[in-house]
Amino acid sequence: MVSELVLVTFFVTSLQLMVPILFASLGEILVERSGVLNVGIEGVMLIGAFTTALVGIETGSVVLGMLAGFGSGLLCGAALSALYVRVGTDQVVTGLMFNILAIGLTALLRDQLIGGQVGPILRGISVPVLDRIRFVGDVLAQQNALLWAGIALTPVVAVALYRTWWGLQVRAAGERPGALAASGHDVWRTRYAAVTLGCGLSALGGTALVLSSSGGFVPNMVAGRGFIALGVVVLARWRPWVALLGAVVFGLAQSLQFLASQIDALAGVPRELWLAAPYVATIFVVVFSLQSRYPAAVGVPYKPGTASQR
Amino acid sequence: MGIRLASGSGPRTLVALAAGLAVMAAVVGALGKNPLRAAGAVVDGSLGNSFGIGQTVQIWTILILAGLASAIPFSARLWNIGGQGQMYSGAIAAAALGITLPAGWPGAAVVPLILAASTAAGAGWGWLPAWIRNRYGASEIVTTLMLNFVAVLGAAYVIRDAWPDRFAQQTEAVADNARLPVLIGSVRADISIVLAVAAALGLWVLMTRTRLGFAVRALGANRGAALLSGASESAVASAAFALGGAAAGLGGGVFVLGIHGALLNGFSAGLAFLGIAVALAAGLNPLRVIPVAGLFAILRVGSNNLQAGADLSPATGDVLIAVFVIMLMVVGVIRFSYGELVDG
Repeated sequence: MVSELVLVTFFVTSLQLMVPILFASLGEILVERSGVLNVGIEGVMLIGAFTTALVGIETGSVVLGMLAGFGSGLLCGAALSALYVRVGTDQVVTGLMFNILAIGLTALLRDQLIGGQVGPILRGISVPVLDRIRFVGDVLAQQNALLWAGIALTPVVAVALYRTWWGLQVRAAGERPGALAASGHDVWRTRYAAVTLGCGLSALGGTALVLSSSGGFVPNMVAGRGFIALGVVVLARWRPWVALLGAVVFGLAQSLQFLASQIDALAGVPRELWLAAPYVATIFVVVFSLQSRYPAAVGVPYKPGTASQR
Repeated sequence: MGIRLASGSGPRTLVALAAGLAVMAAVVGALGKNPLRAAGAVVDGSLGNSFGIGQTVQIWTILILAGLASAIPFSARLWNIGGQGQMYSGAIAAAALGITLPAGWPGAAVVPLILAASTAAGAGWGWLPAWIRNRYGASEIVTTLMLNFVAVLGAAYVIRDAWPDRFAQQTEAVADNARLPVLIGSVRADISIVLAVAAALGLWVLMTRTRLGFAVRALGANRGAALLSGASESAVASAAFALGGAAAGLGGGVFVLGIHGALLNGFSAGLAFLGIAVALAAGLNPLRVIPVAGLFAILRVGSNNLQAGADLSPATGDVLIAVFVIMLMVVGVIRFSYGELVDG
């Protein structure tokens, strides 16, 4: 079959591909739980990636690059929540226009400011104890801090959503905004916060793409990962832990092409078939997630004082 | 109504346009370039010479069809974000037939046959997410997005493996008898613009004068009332998606038979998504799609001249279009209403 080296490479790549989707999905869970669908997630990730690359190149610091990526996501979230929540524009088309804007703007600014330059990247860090395990140690030795940050973020988002008053308010804003308002809370403010913070986390997905590759920015480098995250969130039924699992599955699916290329018996299968696997898998996931339904108020702007909002 | 243009919205449209231009001028100015020079370069590049005019007409054609691909399903509040995939499936069908059909057949038979196949392929690719939605209740937003990637990869396979060109990242050329007849030689404009305008007129008649068109709009305006009046949601959804997909598929077909004469890697260059902007700025009205697509085509093609004319990226035009459409929503020219209650 395949050598151990091939398998190690397969899992190394899978975990690297998993990280951007994990951050994007965790952020989107916060956003959607509050009753907003952010199709603009792809653009948020692109802006996060670009900002990380720009600041990394200018300062030489990965930490500043990460902070800048997160900050750019917060800014995107603030702008998007103003449209989604305050103005009440349609979330699907607003998100799509934001994506066109982000693809164009990052390409424009890249040409003007950084071109093909590359910046600092994150190196693999060794983990005590785990690095002594055969195979597992080899795979983990090549993973950088963002993998561990993403895994650590998962319970944080879960606790915030399920074990805090704030999380309860966010979920209420997504399910019964009218009830939240009746209990004396501000639906808009709750959604502003969730969308802004969620976009910040999603932008870190773009940051991970940059810091785990060359440290530079390539136009449209997010390449649909934000859209895959939209599918992962449905698969995960808006639960952070399941999203972690889903991100792993999609990381594996995205590396299938590499694994298949190493297996002689599969040489005749067109590589596009393997490359299509994550997308086809997403379709099957949303088709067979029969019990999963979006939070009730997703996609519907909240207008204070209207009787229709219960 | 689901989405509509507010009536008497001329002044506010101008406000949105001015705001979009102001934002762009600020960005361009902040980058140390002259906004007026950039604007001049855009006009010069799109309308200033016969080559530019020819390109503008080609992109106008594609944007009309891509705009229709979104406008029809959006009228039923169905989010067809799969125009790209539908365009690609039409292009794949056109390339496959254009390369393999006997070279001896007359063009008058081959061209309509291939364009019909492209239209059907786009309609089929558009119908698929509608079927999934009807059968399994899965959101068309995610499925149409994913089907885009699948179709793009299908094209990649056709280009790399099925009929590869020896030199470029494209398929071999389609036979001469499959090329679209040229309409105006001086600007290399072929008959595809006529087809696109005809498609827009046809869909306008369908949307405003037929039962099906009424049912599509009714589903978007007030789903409950539409269902009470006897419309079948699944049938209307399938039809709206298939019609949108058909327009996009035709766009893919004329791309292959007209503009390039082959299937190129990455040929659509974001035009399908720009079609969504066209549909919105046109208030989903198939007739208004025609002038809006023309305006956006000028911006898109003219922006290619920015690199040479003002040392700016060609992406500038897309940014302006996106800002303009977002501003149209902000100032309330494009309105949304939500007739349905949230189930508590």
